[in-house]
Amino acid sequence: MSTGLIGVNMSADRSLLVLFGSQSGNAEDMADQIGKAASKYNLEATVKGMDEVKIADLTNYSRILITCSTWGEGEQPDNAEDLWLDAEADDSPSMAKCNFSVLALGDSSYEFYCESGKQWDGWLESKGATRVYQRVDCDVEYEEPAASWLTEALACMGAVDDDGVFQAAEVDAMKNAASSSSSASSSTATESTAPAVELSTPDLKSESMQVEVSIFRYDPTTSSTGKDTWVCAFPGHISALEMLRTLKNTQDGSLTFRDGTADDPSTAISINGRYILPGNCRIDSLAPIRNGGIRIRIEPLPGFEVIRDLVVDTWSLEQNREISEPWMVAATRTGVNTPQGPIGTMDSQIADKLHSISSFHSAEILHASSDATPHSNTYLGPSVVLQSWARLNDPRSSASKRAALQMVLDGEGGIKSETDLASIRRQGKTTTIHDSLLECKIATLSRDGYRGRHGKHVWWYTLSVKSSGRVNDTMIFRQVLGPIGLMGNLFSGVTARMALGFTRTGGSMFYDMLALVAPPAGLGKMPKQFNASVDKHHEVVAIFNEMDGRF
Amino acid sequence: MALKYAYHPGNVAHSGSPEINETMIPLAHTLGIKLTPLDGATSCGAGIIRQANHRLQLSLNARTFAQAEALGLEIMTPCAATAGNLSEDLATLRADPILLEEINVILQQTSGLTFGGGTEVHHLLHVIVDEFGLDKLSTLVKNRVDFSVAGYYGPNMQQSGACGGDDVFDPNYFEQLISALGGTPVEWESRTQSVGVPGLFSEELTVLRQAAAVLSDARSEGADMIVSACNLSHSILDIYQGKASRATGIQTNIPVTHLCEILSFALGHHTDRFAQLRTRIAVIGD
Repeated sequence: MSTGLIGVNMSADRSLLVLFGSQSGNAEDMADQIGKAASKYNLEATVKGMDEVKIADLTNYSRILITCSTWGEGEQPDNAEDLWLDAEADDSPSMAKCNFSVLALGDSSYEFYCESGKQWDGWLESKGATRVYQRVDCDVEYEEPAASWLTEALACMGAVDDDGVFQAAEVDAMKNAASSSSSASSSTATESTAPAVELSTPDLKSESMQVEVSIFRYDPTTSSTGKDTWVCAFPGHISALEMLRTLKNTQDGSLTFRDGTADDPSTAISINGRYILPGNCRIDSLAPIRNGGIRIRIEPLPGFEVIRDLVVDTWSLEQNREISEPWMVAATRTGVNTPQGPIGTMDSQIADKLHSISSFHSAEILHASSDATPHSNTYLGPSVVLQSWARLNDPRSSASKRAALQMVLDGEGGIKSETDLASIRRQGKTTTIHDSLLECKIATLSRDGYRGRHGKHVWWYTLSVKSSGRVNDTMIFRQVLGPIGLMGNLFSGVTARMALGFTRTGGSMFYDMLALVAPPAGLGKMPKQFNASVDKHHEVVAIFNEMDGRF
Repeated sequence: MALKYAYHPGNVAHSGSPEINETMIPLAHTLGIKLTPLDGATSCGAGIIRQANHRLQLSLNARTFAQAEALGLEIMTPCAATAGNLSEDLATLRADPILLEEINVILQQTSGLTFGGGTEVHHLLHVIVDEFGLDKLSTLVKNRVDFSVAGYYGPNMQQSGACGGDDVFDPNYFEQLISALGGTPVEWESRTQSVGVPGLFSEELTVLRQAAAVLSDARSEGADMIVSACNLSHSILDIYQGKASRATGIQTNIPVTHLCEILSFALGHHTDRFAQLRTRIAVIGD
């Protein structure tokens, strides 16, 4: 165990570079508007043409907004050409510390619509920069979408803290602050007698706090595992990734973790049992503050083999994905003619649903969210299952592909291998993924006619609740396991523990002698053969009859 | 003012785990918690009925909510699975007024009840920490639980909105409660891990491995016993210990009791059973 005190530089850097590549002046106008509006977001903007900077200058900024038009057949505007050539060079610098967004101006009647903006957007991404707000492509009537982009992109830039970490949770607060600022300015202008309004922007910084960090360590050369613990002072607003970098740079250079951009899924780790992308989370949001400090336990994601310390081998997930044959095999469909040519269409509700099913940041995190994954030999894991489920519901998939996907989902490694969806639900920010996996499970069990152990368990559990309102363990054990399974429990000691309550205390060993008819069955102490019904049991039966005639 | 709740005992308290009901009643009496039994309540579904028909489970639980609402009471249960499932369905019904209206039509037709959203679901652990108070509890302790105890939460109630004022991912209510009873709380990572109850029959080997991992983690962290907040996991962790050990080759022997039992013992009830438990800890312990 090593102990150290760490200080983190907290300069008040609120600089923003607004860069424009302009041919007709529209992109420059937009850049000027950004420059004027930036102060509402507590930002200090510098507006420059692309011919006024060198490519290396860009690395000095953690916040960059670009407005760029497209000229001719997808060419850069004149003032951007040289900078773009430098950007394309092999030795162009890394932009890993930069947060950015791009406004692309163009004309959709040209083949290479908004191409220059797309190129800058792609280049920054390829250089490791973090896109804090999606690129917006504007047609000739650009004013409205450009104004919308300006508001959103500036709020996101405002939410980049002094350490260059994008704090997504602060974007709304930034918008509110800017909105208050606007209305206050307006009010002051029209009502000169009104008192001056004290304006403030949300404080993205928080005080230093004591952080006890325990990190899992694994050395593959000696096959030794353990934990290192540091007690440090960190400002609460820095990201977990920044904290790891600081520990590595100042305390232990051998500490190994995957570094990357804030939204890089391969950086995922477990912090206090929560699976996160460490670049996206402030440390003061990771654990409750108790006695003025927090305790952080960092481990590699479960469900994967550990290579070293926090680095896991995700190859098993890729192999599972390969087994599921995730590629699209498209059906022949009728398209519609558009000015851009024939294009396939999709019902908006289906499109929404498909998007929400497959909208998760990290397949690695979803895979690790299942508590069954590390213990099952065959389970493909929830992320592969969910992707297969999305493709199965995709109307563009061919009939043969859908049949193949059904086999994957119904098979040994499919959704039936998931033992408990609760563990996945608790890791999700919404219930969408859990609900989709549940839908997938219901579909699989229905296709199977509720046969097999899994289907029988669901069927007889439900039926036993109809019969008395309560679960009848005896009925479920007998129907699902059958005589051979029950005999197996008899010889494996399960039945003996059931009867004795083994390590538990008290309670009748048997409720009634009927429990001993046929091989004994049940969960826990020997349960009743028949349950007494709940009060007004006829209401339960009526609900079953109304809701599901199968039972 | 005395705490009052509509009491849902959980799924297997009426049969396979009778000790939960038997210890719940005297402990509630000692704590001055007035329990009104929900005699008409059905199983919460344990996440299993919804695999047959999601709306069916929602309708059954809406009937339970409506019964509690009619009593003017909030629901309390000692089972983490029941607390989690009921909380989940309550949130679903509240978030979708159209769905609630459709289910109310069924309820009205079948039982003459409607649910207006006016109840809440609590687990015993959260009632004691958030409402009753640990300081008050510690003054009532007659028999100190003077050994190392690993509190098992399970994943069902460690959901956003279902765990009272505790943290979803890094809970410590159980540890606080164990300290208040005079015990030494064990810090262990598996306390919110699933033991795979819904997959017991179909994926037995996986479930045995999950159970073995939880049991061995508690042992390796120095626990003398596990106390479970979940009726279902409690039974799995107990009766499948031997089979889990044989399936995995991992040592899994450790006494497992339920939260209701250990509270009841600490408050001076069932002293003979507490003596048995002490003996078992001494015999089973390494």
